Amino acid sequence: MKKIIALALALMMLLGCMGLASAEATSIAVCLSSEPDTLDPALNSAVDGATMLAHLFSGLATWAQDENGNLVIVPECATELTAPVFNEDGTVTYTYTLVDGLTWSDGVALTANDFVFAWKRAASSALGADYGYMFEVVKGYPDNLAVEATDDKTIVVTLANNVAYWNELLAFPTYFPVREDVVASEAWATDAATYVSNGPYTMASWSHNSLITLKKNPGYFKADTVTMDTIECYLSDDSSNMLANFENGDWLLIDDVPTAEIPNLKVNYPTEFVIAGQIGTYYVCWNVNQNLLPADSTLTGVEAEKANAEIRYALSLIIDRTYIVEEIGQAGQVPASSFVAMGMTDADGTEFYKNAGNSDEYIGYYNTESTDEVIDANFDAAYAIFEKYYEIDENGMITNAPTMEYLYNTSDGHKAIGEYLQYAFSMVGINMTLTNQEWNTFLNTRKNGDYYVARNGWLADYNDPICFLDMWTTVSGNNDVQYGKGAHADLAMYDLDLTALGYDIKVEDGTWAQTYDVLIAEIKACTDNTTRFALMHIAEDLLMSTGCITPLYFYTDIYMIDDSVQGFFSNPLGYKYFMYTTVVK
Amino acid sequence: MSGKMLFYILKRALLALLTIFIVITVTFFVMHAVPGNPFAGEKAISAEAQAALEAKFGLDKPLPEQYVDYLADIIFRFDFGPSMKLRGRQVIDVIMDGMKTSAVLGLIAAAGAALTGVILGAVAALRRNSILDKFIMVLTTAFVSMPSFITGTFLLLIFSVWLGWVPANGTTTSGLILPVITLALYPMAYITRLTRSSMLDVLGQDYIRTARAKGVPGWKIIFGHALKNSLIPVITYFGPMLAFIVTGSLVVEQIFAVPGVGRAFVSSITNRDYTMILGTTIFLATLIVIMNLVSDLLYKVVDPRIEFD
Repeated sequence: MKKIIALALALMMLLGCMGLASAEATSIAVCLSSEPDTLDPALNSAVDGATMLAHLFSGLATWAQDENGNLVIVPECATELTAPVFNEDGTVTYTYTLVDGLTWSDGVALTANDFVFAWKRAASSALGADYGYMFEVVKGYPDNLAVEATDDKTIVVTLANNVAYWNELLAFPTYFPVREDVVASEAWATDAATYVSNGPYTMASWSHNSLITLKKNPGYFKADTVTMDTIECYLSDDSSNMLANFENGDWLLIDDVPTAEIPNLKVNYPTEFVIAGQIGTYYVCWNVNQNLLPADSTLTGVEAEKANAEIRYALSLIIDRTYIVEEIGQAGQVPASSFVAMGMTDADGTEFYKNAGNSDEYIGYYNTESTDEVIDANFDAAYAIFEKYYEIDENGMITNAPTMEYLYNTSDGHKAIGEYLQYAFSMVGINMTLTNQEWNTFLNTRKNGDYYVARNGWLADYNDPICFLDMWTTVSGNNDVQYGKGAHADLAMYDLDLTALGYDIKVEDGTWAQTYDVLIAEIKACTDNTTRFALMHIAEDLLMSTGCITPLYFYTDIYMIDDSVQGFFSNPLGYKYFMYTTVVK
Repeated sequence: MSGKMLFYILKRALLALLTIFIVITVTFFVMHAVPGNPFAGEKAISAEAQAALEAKFGLDKPLPEQYVDYLADIIFRFDFGPSMKLRGRQVIDVIMDGMKTSAVLGLIAAAGAALTGVILGAVAALRRNSILDKFIMVLTTAFVSMPSFITGTFLLLIFSVWLGWVPANGTTTSGLILPVITLALYPMAYITRLTRSSMLDVLGQDYIRTARAKGVPGWKIIFGHALKNSLIPVITYFGPMLAFIVTGSLVVEQIFAVPGVGRAFVSSITNRDYTMILGTTIFLATLIVIMNLVSDLLYKVVDPRIEFD
């Protein structure tokens, strides 16, 4: 009898252990977005595409988590991220050695020439890649890049000047290698059969509009560190559908949720609903060539623009950003009082946005606190400006402001913000109409400056404030405000004094081209990190002094991840990394 | 097949070609008149890159020349060109890829809708004013008036999220059950109502009364005379409906993550993917024209008195 009991107990223990022992899944199903436009590393400009590329390819460097969980850039295909050699002409040369035994997923050896080819291809104007400008820092951009392979394992690249974020660029998908014979046919990146990569994963299948399956690449030189065998990237861009698939347990990570569901999700999935930082700013841009003064105003030229700048600043003061993020955005966004986004690092390692502006009382260029005292003070400051230029009736309403038109691209979220702004401006007597346009038309209208005031947004490509600042030079393709264009080109009203930083540059009453454009050029040529960041703060000061940029909030990246997923991380650019995950059911 | 019918088909085919030609021409010039371009994005590309891309896709040529080139490619090479947004993919491949799913979904949904619709409609007509008739009418009124994003979302919520019987994405076969039902509900309800009213009309005709008077069995009257003759309006509706239903529905594809072709129609316009806009438009127009022709020919089968002219 004892034997039987012992046997039964042993059996129970065994069964118990089997039940308790967690089953580890070898695949993870996720949904980032719908069908990517392209998975060619040179052509991709989307965040979801970048996530997949980060699994399929290995660049010279990569993002990784250190032992404390902090994100760092570490060498990948390069043996080390070498220090630069400064040349006499101000250029900077880097020499990289590839690690031994690198191969492509089809077994062919990977050489330094593959990197050289890929970089020259991605930068070339002939390819017309969205992110071709990521190579702008390399000497000879766009069609004569100073990069060469001195032997099969050595890459030598020369930059036009020292670039603080160079290592980060090496981890950017546009810098990933591709092989000349593979990409000869443009269709190579549209079919798993012709897709040759060199990263932790290979593309096992691509069922268009449906599913991309990534399988662990046994030939990857660090294959033993990769814990997840298969990543299934389902392709859907409907956030309700994503949520349905997450809720019934089919998908373990979804990169979007319906905005209306956010309050419920926060309560029902406290550990699985994640709000992560993302380097980007949602803002309103004012066309610098549109007049905000009353029709009978006698001010013209520089005087009129100075008044307009003040009025735009005053209007920025009466916007309750806390209301926008809490009642409309609802996704943990942070009220913004400067343009360069939260998440950017300053020269001393602190956060750039915290050092923006020149106030001792608050961060940035406005006080965005939502207390009654601050709101009252902001209104008083705004009215002090309004009174200078407008007639104000006994109810405190401006009576003679021109009607403004707010342009946004068709979307419920943008509309809600537009309606809030319309309401906020109506509180001081300013009438603003709302116009929405379909996306592509909207881009065209805004780019051409055929608008009064428009919704805008900017996401960083790399952790350096210059990507928020160089877009406002006169010739930039992203200069939606129209700085230095049209009538604004001739307005000599800006000051620039860099003598304190050791420069021989002092401009009084200069045009935009004579001040801002010069300043950006100096930033790009500057090799001293501290000076360079000081210059960037000056650039942001100058930019914000125009009042044409009204920051509303800093973006966040919201996603849902199942509790069973361990070892996941994402970077500030929103790329998500699944290679080191395990799924414990 | 009579000579008259052949002549009719030939005439209709020529008219169809003319229709498609007009569709191409109008679409081509209208889409180019709309502001925007296929290479626009939140982040602008350089002027050189823009020029290189325009040259690559022939957008740097004058519009009439682009038009002639495009027509020549279609007529002489049956080449719809590459997509301007989905780099490296051919328009025809994108459409065919999506059609693999959309056609299966659409055909099942259309067949199901026609079969159920005709049966329910006939039953309702034969049991006119009964509880059953009223029930069918209430149900079909609801399905006709409820948009598919409502029915689809309800079905998804009940059968996928709550009950967990079927997956919420159309990447698997079982995931296609709900999309088929969602797609079929509206045409099913519409066909039911068409059949009912048409059948009521036919049932009141003299020849039905004559047949009854002559003692023809009830089932023979219904299947041999009434039902057949009441199908004409259904056929008129069925042709174009089939064309629309097999070319995918963006709404259903979104709700259930179905990899159909419907998305290509909408996204091509948002993206100003000119070749894709033309490709999808020509494809849909051709299907509609063919389906219309087929339903016209079917009239003759159902009602031999109809003459082609």
